[in-house]
Amino acid sequence: MNGPVRRLSIGLFAGFFALLLAVTWIQVIHADVLKADPRNSRPALSERGKERGLIVTIDGTVVAQSVPDPEDPRSFVRQYPEGEPFAHVVGYNSFLVGSSGLENAYADELRSRRDLTISDLVSVILGRDLRPESLELTINAALQEAAYEGLGGLKGAVFAIDPRTGAVLASVSSPSYDPESLLGGDAATVWESLLADPEGPLLDRATREIYPPGSTFKTVVTAAALDTGTAVPETEFPDPQEFQLPGSSATISNAGGGVCNDGQSITLLQAFIVSCNTTFADLSIQVGAEDVGITAEALGFNTDITFPWTVPEAIYPVDLLAEDPAALAQSGIGERDVRAAPLHMAMVAAAIANDGTTLTPYLVNRIFDADGNTVETFEPSPMGQAMDPATAAVVTEMMERVVTEGTGQAAAVSDVRVAGKTGTSMGLDGLPNPWFIGFAPAEDPTIAIAVFFEGSPELGESASGGGVAAPLAGDLIQLWLEGSP
Amino acid sequence: MTRNSEGALIVAACVLAAFGVTLVNFAQERSVDAQTALTFLVFLIAFGGLHMAVRAFAPKATPLLLAPVTALTALGFFQIYRLDIAAGTDRASFQRWWILIGAGLASLTLLLFNRGSISVLRRYRNITLLISLALILLPNLPVGWGFPLRGLSVNGSRLWVLLDVGFTTFQFQPAELAKLGLVAYVAGYLADHQRALREARRHIGPIAFPEPRQLIPLLITWGVSVLILISQRDLGASLLLFVGFVLLLYAATGTTGYLVAGGFLGLIAGVASYLAFDHVQRRVIAWISPFEHYEDEGFQIAQGLFAMGTGSLAGAGPGLGRPDLIPNAATDFIFAAVGEELGFAGTVSVLALFALTISVGLGIAFRSRDTFRKLLAAGLTFVLAVQTILIIGGVVRLVPLTGITLPFMSYGGSALVGNLILIALLLRISHEEAQ
Repeated sequence: MNGPVRRLSIGLFAGFFALLLAVTWIQVIHADVLKADPRNSRPALSERGKERGLIVTIDGTVVAQSVPDPEDPRSFVRQYPEGEPFAHVVGYNSFLVGSSGLENAYADELRSRRDLTISDLVSVILGRDLRPESLELTINAALQEAAYEGLGGLKGAVFAIDPRTGAVLASVSSPSYDPESLLGGDAATVWESLLADPEGPLLDRATREIYPPGSTFKTVVTAAALDTGTAVPETEFPDPQEFQLPGSSATISNAGGGVCNDGQSITLLQAFIVSCNTTFADLSIQVGAEDVGITAEALGFNTDITFPWTVPEAIYPVDLLAEDPAALAQSGIGERDVRAAPLHMAMVAAAIANDGTTLTPYLVNRIFDADGNTVETFEPSPMGQAMDPATAAVVTEMMERVVTEGTGQAAAVSDVRVAGKTGTSMGLDGLPNPWFIGFAPAEDPTIAIAVFFEGSPELGESASGGGVAAPLAGDLIQLWLEGSP
Repeated sequence: MTRNSEGALIVAACVLAAFGVTLVNFAQERSVDAQTALTFLVFLIAFGGLHMAVRAFAPKATPLLLAPVTALTALGFFQIYRLDIAAGTDRASFQRWWILIGAGLASLTLLLFNRGSISVLRRYRNITLLISLALILLPNLPVGWGFPLRGLSVNGSRLWVLLDVGFTTFQFQPAELAKLGLVAYVAGYLADHQRALREARRHIGPIAFPEPRQLIPLLITWGVSVLILISQRDLGASLLLFVGFVLLLYAATGTTGYLVAGGFLGLIAGVASYLAFDHVQRRVIAWISPFEHYEDEGFQIAQGLFAMGTGSLAGAGPGLGRPDLIPNAATDFIFAAVGEELGFAGTVSVLALFALTISVGLGIAFRSRDTFRKLLAAGLTFVLAVQTILIIGGVVRLVPLTGITLPFMSYGGSALVGNLILIALLLRISHEEAQ
């Protein structure tokens, strides 16, 4: 009779072994997936009330900090002292609606490792620091706040880079929101209302939304034309009222509807200064989709850009345009299928400023521990040579002429050589999106900037890059140059 | 191992219970209070007392059984205490009383059999059967009548009896005791009819089948299981009894046909209950795709998996996880709660302690010379093992959730009392065989 009992015992222990395998799967092999499931609120709940690291700008302005909760001194509350201007960069860390921005991207560095477990004790004995680490941003707080002020609550964005390093000087999206409003018990309601707001305050228009760049893209086409030898600034082009799109009955016309020069001919330089659409439609076809594409991609288009969070790719659809000359002509003026975030257009300006070398923008200057010791420093990282240094010098000269005598005069700063290019692209509701990209001082640039406004009824149907975006860019460049050493 | 080492291990397990409570208190309140001392005292009186009862009434019983049982009770208790703090309930106080009552009744069981022998259960098995059936039907007493003993419906299941003793009321599940009586009855029946059951065989191919007449006891137990299922909507107890009895029949006869026939009958009952009962269907859905039905059927299982996954290797630490997010964490999902706060280390320890308890139980069955004692020990151990595998298997998604409690660990007085008496019976058998 022990025989059957023995066989059943084997069966029962096989059952226990199956349980052991299942537990191993759940708690060891598959644990990270279960832990990371967005429906699993445990990781967020365990972070609640814990100290997190500081986030400070390079000039020492605290933009995120943890202070002891006055009602419960054992736990901490998170504060964002600078509020709206930094909301999209710093983000928030809410146990109800999750996290975003740097709070999300550097969650692991910013969190406290003090879990009150036995392993903490072991770590302390081993001399490990359980305190959270802190971030020092490359951002200049005064520039960031001035940019937010300058956008005036309208839909838009400013992205500024130090062209020598790729360090981000400002990244602002407007309208914004108060990140502390997402930390309270009513966070879910606040979140719902922000999400439902037609102005889209949660959108990061500087780095996470892409728009047609309009005439600012003419800088890219010009660089490609110069690099390939298709044209020089003195090359003459016809000056028609309208450009007939090949294989189509549609036409491209100029801003204002007339001719750009005398109706006979116009040089590339003149066309660039007055932002002549018909010339660039023509030039785009002459250079060809492949060659414009090579320059565009070296400047950051169609490329996955390393940033603390996922940046959508800027689009220049080479294969599509190679087969469609009408679309290629429209792409030459930054319309049709071309898309870029203000981040990308600031990278274009920065590359021209930096003798044609594209740099990856970076937001965090260094990570430091609770004693202030540097844990990690971020270095400039070149993406590649986008154009010949001579080409960059010529485009710089052309961009200077835009500010001194062309569409970008509103960006002028007294006693400073400012280089720039305006743009006015077609927005979603037929309302124009004003753009300005530029850098200064032209002889030795320390700031490259992209200013963007999204078309809105407040700006109206006649808003232009030169009228709306260029003045703000000029103000910010002046502020930066006055303040910078 | 000696009786003294058993005593030392039991004291260690009592310290474990008190230490768990202390850690939870420290994590939650940043302070330590009288709960630590109270828990230690209750465990020491209950299991120390049971240990003394073994010394007095079953001195030759195996010293390997009581320590793992104490440790399991301790691990379960500190999670119940931890969940109390999160929910603002006071189940731990009840559980402490039930630990005392359970250990007391287990000691009493040892005392009662000390005057005679466990074979009285064989001799009077028909009385045991009647009492057990009566206990199973007890919850069907009217809920609203004036008699102090009433039926009680909890979550749509008629499993409970309410005893009104004037100043207070007790709730218990009589099926937990009936389980032991039914095992004893079947063990007795099989011990007496073993030869007939074994020799009368028909063969269909390589599989041996008993005479149809001999299938009657199997059909009776199947009928009882179905009865429980229909009258009380208790899938778990029904399945447990049925599987336990089929295994015992096979153990007594070695006739593969019982396993085949039992499996067949079980399958019929399973399919029928799936078709007939919504709550069975919901459990199958939750088992197959808990994350796709996260909002409703699958929520509990998904939360259990999140809890264990988040606990990972070392666990969140006592009092530092959120096992209270799992519905019914203190009863059905105590294993997941342990997995969250003590991690893989904790769940493997629990599995090892159960495996140890069950292998000791099986060892008692192996070493028994007397047929009845052998079958009783085997049957009781099977019931314990099947129950453990079914409920943990439900939590880790190996089988659908059956809604039975985890022996010694889950919150619930009747189950704890029943299982401690089960351990007392095993100890008694072990003692008698060693004489």
